[in-house]
Amino acid sequence: MSNDILNVVVTGAAGQIGYSLIFNIVRGEMFGSDQKIRLVLMDIAPMLDGIKGVIMEIEDCCYPLVGEIVVTADPKEAFANADYAILVGGMPRKDGMERADLLKANATIFQVQGKALNDHAKKTCKVLVVANPANTNALIAMVNAPNIPKENFSCLTRLDQNRARAQIALRAKVSVKDVHNIIVWGNHSLTIFPDHRCGYVSLPSGKSTISGAVKDDTWLQNEFVATVQKRGAAVISARKLSSAASAAKAITDHIHDWHLGTPEGEYVSMGVHSDGSYNIPSGIIFSFPVTIKNGVYTIVQGLPIDKNTQEKLDATTAELISEKEVALAL
Amino acid sequence: MESATLRINNISGHLTTSGVRGGGQCPFSQKSTAPLACPEKAWSVINTSPHAKPNPIRVLVTGAAGQIAYSLVFMIASGQMFGPYQPVVLHLLDIPKMQEVLNGVVMELNDGAFPLLAGTVATTDVKTAFMGIQVCLMVGAFPRGPGMQRSDLLKMNANIFKEQGAALAKYAARGVKVLVVGNPANTNAYIACLAAKADLPSTNFSALTRLDQNRAVSMIAERVGVPVAKVKNVSIWGNHSLTQVPDVTNAVIQDFPEKGLTTPVLTAVNDNKWLEESFIPQVQNRGAAVIAARKLSSAASAANAIVGHMRDWVLGTKDGETVSMAVVSDGSYNIPKGLVFSFPVQCRAGEWSIVQGLKITPFIQLKLDATTKELQSEIDALPK
Repeated sequence: MSNDILNVVVTGAAGQIGYSLIFNIVRGEMFGSDQKIRLVLMDIAPMLDGIKGVIMEIEDCCYPLVGEIVVTADPKEAFANADYAILVGGMPRKDGMERADLLKANATIFQVQGKALNDHAKKTCKVLVVANPANTNALIAMVNAPNIPKENFSCLTRLDQNRARAQIALRAKVSVKDVHNIIVWGNHSLTIFPDHRCGYVSLPSGKSTISGAVKDDTWLQNEFVATVQKRGAAVISARKLSSAASAAKAITDHIHDWHLGTPEGEYVSMGVHSDGSYNIPSGIIFSFPVTIKNGVYTIVQGLPIDKNTQEKLDATTAELISEKEVALAL
Repeated sequence: MESATLRINNISGHLTTSGVRGGGQCPFSQKSTAPLACPEKAWSVINTSPHAKPNPIRVLVTGAAGQIAYSLVFMIASGQMFGPYQPVVLHLLDIPKMQEVLNGVVMELNDGAFPLLAGTVATTDVKTAFMGIQVCLMVGAFPRGPGMQRSDLLKMNANIFKEQGAALAKYAARGVKVLVVGNPANTNAYIACLAAKADLPSTNFSALTRLDQNRAVSMIAERVGVPVAKVKNVSIWGNHSLTQVPDVTNAVIQDFPEKGLTTPVLTAVNDNKWLEESFIPQVQNRGAAVIAARKLSSAASAANAIVGHMRDWVLGTKDGETVSMAVVSDGSYNIPKGLVFSFPVQCRAGEWSIVQGLKITPFIQLKLDATTKELQSEIDALPK
């Protein structure tokens, strides 16, 4: 049993995703069943009362791993000595809001949080931004936290990867656990590109390409991509609420793998700052396939990029650059 | 800015009680190969070996579009209920009005990419829902509306649970394990059991008091200032209602006051007045307190209790440790036979057995009488 305690901060903790996520964390699913946690729950002041009820429920679960829970609206207090910061809280899109308004409102929030992380979190703090526009919010936080390495900032695209994997599994009529190395590239938006070409399916008879298992390249080029890109809206349409539990699961997966490493040969997708790999310009947060060992991710190199993929990468890159320009014009 | 630091005390929850994580492996790790701690204690239906290629177990959740189910189904899909080596097919039942929401839940279950989720059957049709199931989690019930009397609630639910009891008898596996959560839980379980009487043993049926037990344990741990993991054998007797009886007479605290020593809770707390006048009412009223704070009913903690109850039933309880389950009384402790009443039990090989010979104080006896009377009157109020 490890004796150190991890300081884990969740912002937007009073919301829907927070409710699912908090219980994943305290159950041990994020860091393993041996890791004790000090949990910091942050939200805006009017929401703090609601968190008290959540804490009552955590008590009523009798989990062994949580040593202390702090509730606060103050970023300075929240991020003090943080090891992991999961930034779920952001300005939601309201009716009549243009994308530029959304970008600007969130840029302010993430500027403040980036500075607070810079000044109070551990230098080794790892940051996962979930609130949309996730990639650009992560970028804002990163540029405002020069004391923390760029590699410690990420945004969530694991949900898109999990969704893509599930679509392949359903189509190929296999278990999702047998579908490997489905990647998502770029922006967590309608331009995200789910890429099956380096993936494979483990069948009793041996490995199969995705194309071989699905046997429908037209579906793979078109419907598969569109379904993954629009999945968020499809869930809202059915539930009348945004994805919460599946988002919480993806957050759990992202942090779990970042902390504990990926299995040999498995790629996972993370939005991270571009180092120029695949000719993606640096200075943006872009979803790449990575492997993780000893808490450090490495972008998988040398994957083939065909003409169709290049077009998709260009489109999502262009979108990210224009988001960056709008957000930074403050 | 205000902030509150709260100390959360601990209990050995499901993670270590039944050794699900044996070897400290997280179930999300594809490398989880450690065997379960006590596979011989498990129900024969459950696969406990990392090397086998098991058949999935079929689990039905009713009220599947609701709040509790939203927390519950993802916990089941991630392996919390049956361990890391048992795949699951989730049957999800709700009323036709909730079909779209149910579709959304299925989407999110798929989007979770859970290795142990072998499939989903989402339906508003009772036959489809109950077909071939081996575990039944009856979360759905008719909710109490404003102005509704308790007797109205009993009648509305009697119809639902009579129909579902009949469906269990007709479509479910003979060994189906049933946990009723929807309130009034004990009486709903009684009705379902009665409706299935000709086909299913009454020992298949139970109702949830594990949430009350968890709440009681948490409060004792906080009072004494020990981790929740050290507080053992707190019992909940009776009806899952305001007459429930949280009882620490036979409860102990391990490694207290120092490692290697075990102290009765009564001694460690050393305050009968607090136990009788504060502790018991606090446990009884906790549900209302959570609603007041959240503006919503307990969902995640209820889901956690459902998982704990069923997991201990199918994977077995640790030697010397008891858990609370509302089951059909066999006359133990002079509780009238046939009532669905919460007792302290132990579980092994998929069977529960009521712990015999526990001390019942006169104070507790009065409370047992009161909760028995309430249960009897609920049954008497049922339509004939």
